[in-house]
Amino acid sequence: MSTLTEAPPPLAPAEEAEPPRKRGRFTPYWLLLPGMLWLVVFFALPMIYQASTSVQTGSLEEGYKVTWHFVTYWNALSEYWPQFLRSVFYAAAATLLCLLLGYPLAYLIAFRAGRWRNLIMILVIAPFFTSFLIRTLAWKTILADNGPVVHALNSLHVLDLTNWLGWTAGDRVLATPLAVVCGLTYNFLPFMILPLYTSLERIDGRLHEAAGDLYARPWTTFRKVTFPLSMPGVVSGTLLTFIPAAGDYVNSELLGSTDTRMIGNVIQTQFLRILDYPTAAALSFILMAAILAMVTIYIRRSGTEDLV
Amino acid sequence: MTTPDNSGDVRLSGISKTYDNGFTAVQPLDLTVPQGSFFALLGASGCGKTTTLRMIAGLEEPTTGAVHLGEQEVTHLPPYKRPVNTVFQSYALFPHLDIFENVAFGLRRRGIKSVKKQVEDMLELVQLGEQARKKPHQLSGGQQQRVAVARALINHPKVLLLDEPLGALDLKLRRQMQLELKRIQTEVGITFVHVTHDQEEAMTMADTVAVMNAGRVEQLGSPADLYENPNTTFVANFLGTSNLIEAEVDTENGDDIVLKAGGGKLLLPKARCSAPTKTGGKVLVGIRPEKIALTHADDAGEIPAGRNRLTGKIADASFIGVSTQYVIDSPVCDELAVYVQNVERDGRLVPGADVVLHWSPAHTFGLDATQDIDAGTEEEAAA
Repeated sequence: MSTLTEAPPPLAPAEEAEPPRKRGRFTPYWLLLPGMLWLVVFFALPMIYQASTSVQTGSLEEGYKVTWHFVTYWNALSEYWPQFLRSVFYAAAATLLCLLLGYPLAYLIAFRAGRWRNLIMILVIAPFFTSFLIRTLAWKTILADNGPVVHALNSLHVLDLTNWLGWTAGDRVLATPLAVVCGLTYNFLPFMILPLYTSLERIDGRLHEAAGDLYARPWTTFRKVTFPLSMPGVVSGTLLTFIPAAGDYVNSELLGSTDTRMIGNVIQTQFLRILDYPTAAALSFILMAAILAMVTIYIRRSGTEDLV
Repeated sequence: MTTPDNSGDVRLSGISKTYDNGFTAVQPLDLTVPQGSFFALLGASGCGKTTTLRMIAGLEEPTTGAVHLGEQEVTHLPPYKRPVNTVFQSYALFPHLDIFENVAFGLRRRGIKSVKKQVEDMLELVQLGEQARKKPHQLSGGQQQRVAVARALINHPKVLLLDEPLGALDLKLRRQMQLELKRIQTEVGITFVHVTHDQEEAMTMADTVAVMNAGRVEQLGSPADLYENPNTTFVANFLGTSNLIEAEVDTENGDDIVLKAGGGKLLLPKARCSAPTKTGGKVLVGIRPEKIALTHADDAGEIPAGRNRLTGKIADASFIGVSTQYVIDSPVCDELAVYVQNVERDGRLVPGADVVLHWSPAHTFGLDATQDIDAGTEEEAAA
């Protein structure tokens, strides 16, 4: 009898061991579910809806029908290619400026800031505490025609140079390409600094010592060791800056003029003022495709796969 | 190579390092490492050995004193202007460069264009010719270690600095690399300064060992000299194991000092005593565990005259193959360690047995009794 009463215990754990394994198998899917649902509702469905809109014809009064009217794409592109080019150019200029401003700062925070590190990080992120719109509007005041910035630039004859380059016009900064690029740079700078900082901070300090020990002067150490090792940060920083900047319309709207309209402004106008939904949708898809293509080439070229 | 060359001498004169937070890592230190020698700085972590090395490399600026390489003063030269190279702890290989480029790094920085031949030869020397186009993370720890050595050696430095280069390797590989490094050093004839906390590593590899403790060099000498004639309790305990017994000076007898310990008398050669001896004064008598012979108390009469003797009881015995390690409880000392070669084992020597420990007076050394008797033991290091 005693053997019978003792028999069950070893069985029980074995039975219990089965269900957790089964449950474990589906855990990843359960974890994915909320995110997937969100994506389906707020990304996949709108994308499909927009894709269908872009090949529809009709009017507001008579309603729209899917007619596979791909000509809309061609028309949109041939009419708005200058805005496309301008968007790419402004976004590229702003990205470059962000990199030039952000890299030294990220380097400072990562290697030299010491106990000031956290304070500087907070200052980098602080602008996010106010709205994007308000910050951009503030730039309107900063760059105002009678403001101190314009006066200073004027008396230093910087404006003569920027006028000559076609970045500004007359004695104004506001409503010029320079203002839009400055706005873009300002708004997206933190997106450059944060990934740069992260990748710089990961670099083992002994690599700098090793380079110095192997006859590399500080500048050579930077060129041959620090910068190549920070490439993942440079790539993600430039992408996080370039992609939203290329589709941005707020900076051009508030700081620019009709001559600085970017593709984002066109899409916004088509959707909300002209109510030409097919053209707006087609423009959106062209922008998306163009950015995807550029980003793919960029990532291939920078060859960072084995660094990340 | 020119005639008697001392361009690879490292001379440290009065260098010390005090950090901004007031911590003094290295006390004023004078040290000369002769050209072509394999020199080890040995000590527990935090003893200042790595800081000393970094001051030679130029990665740390001395608070006081001067560093000379041969005739050249380099105290304030930045690392990239010094003819020394370092093998870093955990190697610090450049992860974005392949093995070839890692090794070629120093040559390229000095503007040497045709590096191929030299790099290939160097990779052959460390037996990594096949791995030239791999990235560091694709290699094993031992291979990375050899790349680090090759990367430094290819520059023909006057001095090669090694900062715990074998610390990250497992025991077997470490033994193998010790011999390998020793072979390379003999082959290239460059001055090696090796920092380690592993006393066995220091003794196997180095011609000269400096034992450091709390920012000071405790003792400097050849491995055998340090082992046989430690001057301080720290050296006695840190290098191998020592039995230290407190004794009182009784009389002098020719070249020997007669000491009283417990009830018995011990002889200590005067020449091997680093402490002042006055009748009635205290000294620490040291004896290495493998120098002691064990005889069962029943056979005490068979022990030749003239040997130092102590009585005790076996507290513990552990058989480790080539030898048996005994712990003996003795009236003069709680835990005496005795290592006996397993040649003819006496079956009566089991825990609880009464024994006589005896050794030749010539193997005895004497230390100043004012020191901490436990300095440098593992228990103290762990605390």
